[in-house]
Amino acid sequence: MKVNLHPKEGLLINAFMLVFIIHSVQVGVGLAGLPRVVYLHAKHDAWISVFLAGTITSVVLIFMVQMLKQYDSADLYGIHVDVFGKWAGHSLNFMYMFYMTSTFFIILMNYVEIVQVWIFPTLPTWQLTLVLVLLVIYAVYGGIRVVVGVAFFSVVGTIWLAAVLFVPLQFGDFTHLFPIMNSNAKQLLMGAHSTTLSMLGFEIILFVYPFVKEKQKAMFFVQIGNMITTIMFTCATLISIVFFASNSLEKTIWPVLSMFKIVRLPNLERFEFIAVSFWMLIILPNMCFYLWAASKGFSRILRKKQKWGVWIIAIVAFGGSFFIKSRYQMDTATDLVAKLGFYFAFCYPVLLSIIVFIKKWYKRRESKHAETS
Amino acid sequence: MFKWLSGKKADETPKAHSLELEELKEQLKTELNVGSDLVFRTMKRDGDKLIFCLMNTLIDSTRLDDIVIKSILNNKDMEWTCESIAKVLPMISITAVNQLSEVVTGINEGKVYIYAEGQPYGILADVKKTLERGLEKAETESLVYGPKIAFTESLQANMNILRNNIKDEDLCAEDLTVGKRSKTKAKLVYIKGIADEETIQTFRQRVQDLNLDYVPGTTVLGQYIESDSWSVFPQLMTTELPDRVSIALYRGKVAVLLDRSPDCLYGPTSFFAFFESTEDVYMRWNMGLFLRMLRLVATFFSVLLTPAYVAVLTYHYEVIPSPLLLSLGESRARVPFPPVMEALLLEFVIELLREAGARLPTKVGQTMGIVGGIVIGQAAVEAGFNSNILIIIIALSALGSFTTPSYLMGTAIRIIRFPIIVMAGLWGGIGIMLCFCYFIIHLLKLETVGGPYLTPVYPVRLKDLGYSFFKLPPQYLSFRPLTNRTKDQERFSKRKAKQKKDVDE
Repeated sequence: MKVNLHPKEGLLINAFMLVFIIHSVQVGVGLAGLPRVVYLHAKHDAWISVFLAGTITSVVLIFMVQMLKQYDSADLYGIHVDVFGKWAGHSLNFMYMFYMTSTFFIILMNYVEIVQVWIFPTLPTWQLTLVLVLLVIYAVYGGIRVVVGVAFFSVVGTIWLAAVLFVPLQFGDFTHLFPIMNSNAKQLLMGAHSTTLSMLGFEIILFVYPFVKEKQKAMFFVQIGNMITTIMFTCATLISIVFFASNSLEKTIWPVLSMFKIVRLPNLERFEFIAVSFWMLIILPNMCFYLWAASKGFSRILRKKQKWGVWIIAIVAFGGSFFIKSRYQMDTATDLVAKLGFYFAFCYPVLLSIIVFIKKWYKRRESKHAETS
Repeated sequence: MFKWLSGKKADETPKAHSLELEELKEQLKTELNVGSDLVFRTMKRDGDKLIFCLMNTLIDSTRLDDIVIKSILNNKDMEWTCESIAKVLPMISITAVNQLSEVVTGINEGKVYIYAEGQPYGILADVKKTLERGLEKAETESLVYGPKIAFTESLQANMNILRNNIKDEDLCAEDLTVGKRSKTKAKLVYIKGIADEETIQTFRQRVQDLNLDYVPGTTVLGQYIESDSWSVFPQLMTTELPDRVSIALYRGKVAVLLDRSPDCLYGPTSFFAFFESTEDVYMRWNMGLFLRMLRLVATFFSVLLTPAYVAVLTYHYEVIPSPLLLSLGESRARVPFPPVMEALLLEFVIELLREAGARLPTKVGQTMGIVGGIVIGQAAVEAGFNSNILIIIIALSALGSFTTPSYLMGTAIRIIRFPIIVMAGLWGGIGIMLCFCYFIIHLLKLETVGGPYLTPVYPVRLKDLGYSFFKLPPQYLSFRPLTNRTKDQERFSKRKAKQKKDVDE
């Protein structure tokens, strides 16, 4: 397997698109319940935790992009092989593929659960899962260009929902925020840790990077994308804290969706029905990107057609949906994936990049040594 | 030597026709099996024989009599040889041939074959007559503003109109032949130095590579050369307006004109190009902008209104505020069907009215529209088949779909409504959103002659938004659309356009 990946000229995407990619993959099912999970740990300082998490993500992104810059045009699969050799590298690649498949699965299941709770309590899980999986397969079949397009239209088509979130603010009570910094550092960090599931998605840069046209600009646009996400999440948390009373926020599982209820137009009420429907467009790029990246690994490692990988992973995810029957199992699975994500997306890439830096530095010194002697 | 390896049949060996007149007649009769259409006229003088072979259904007999026969008869002392006859014929297009196949093709194209017995060559003289209708106003793309002239079925006349519109030496018109058997003439038209070489090549290649017996028109040609033939969306524009083609050519597009087809095919055309009307160009920019936005919004509602009605009334009636819900419920109180059935029924009626109106003569069509619209609409409500509100919604969405300037795109918009209605009846808002996502992905996958279909929105070309999505004041459109990758990128100097002659001058 080659370390570097050189896609065709026509498949390359503008670095500017990274803003949409990073942002759209980060925003997903996690956002709907984000304010509550952070609030459980950090209380009314939850928004500081979210902001902190965004900052940490931005630091992790610096490590990731710097690591990618050490190579000509490599993705994580290539780097693994380059650093750890064939066997260890491929095992790590498989683990990453497993992680992405499970994230894909969790996003899918969480959305189906939201639909079942909010709109169709009697809708069989497998029906919606099947249609969504087929939809995502159809998109991934179009390749990276279509997947990035989905991310773009997802952001453009749903950004107005963020504006709607400001409507509940007029019923808010700002005294809920005070006193600021009442929680201690441990609580804040615990809160930041609990945002993992929502923040996840930025690690997709590890796989998209070879397809970026102007690679030197990647860092800038990735950071912008993450910044928009951080601001949006912080605002959502802030508004939730202001809008809900303390104990009701703890009991509302999807506070962001619940806040849409308050929106009232002359010819529309119960806005959350529209919001839940539109949430599909929000999670579509997440699923597309995870399926695309995982199946890309399949074709890179096994040198098979990517289409096979797409079908195998999709069928595994669809088959998995039959094993989750209750809310309790769902919760366990989601927590597990969040934990996986914390190690795979936050900790491990930083570690790997340090190894890569050391390796490159060592090589450079060696070659210099060889020149001088 | 290895011809059999290439898999192709060896070309027919060249065969000169018989030098005997009677034999020549027989040969032509067997080759061209057209009965009494094939006419021979023999002239005799001092033992010399001259024969005219022609198809009387294809030729202009006055031209034959007045020009060809008269000039031969007038020169009495002339020898009847190939060269001397050629000298006396006052015509531009004459050719000397002796191959049987060439003679047959020539006669079939409306030429007359003049042959003096014993000569090695004969002459093909063009006395063709083509029947065509006169220039008329555009029918399918009717306009308030701008030139009304439309293309006709004659390629020559169409090229004439186009060349009169664009008196540019760089306007190229390459000859192409479409149809292996019908041999329809086609022209590949572009402006050299503006159109992208790659796009031209793609067009040329795709038309040349067609291995068909007959192509009835440019819309059919379009279906053969576009990238995704499964899709319901048209990927290449057909228009009957010469000025529309001229505008497109100067934006760097490539056009194909086909003989006997009153439409011109051009591309690359993105999705949003189908919502542009030439009137947007002729109007003041702000009016054009308003109309274009109106059209896009109308299309959006046309697709979404009926499914939304179905979804809301079937599953999400909580979404409607109670006063509105009351009137909705009242109007639906007598309707025994679920909303999906109701909506599908009425949509079906509207489609019937439209189709019947399009097939009937104009005068009857109008009456039928009124009768159908009022009688069926009113009666359906009174009979308790439909609610009043649905009639309003369906009428609105039908109107919305008719605002699309391109008839093909309007039809596509109307067709995609049906699956969305069914999905809305099945899964409510989730169903609508599923369809919406599907169509976004589908449109992202489409392409038009090598270019992406959704430009300038994706891939983003912010500058081009002024051309196809919005409309800007003319002084800001100093460049040609970036998506067409034109070689000459500037239309006029931006700096000069900004200069204002005011008091300081």
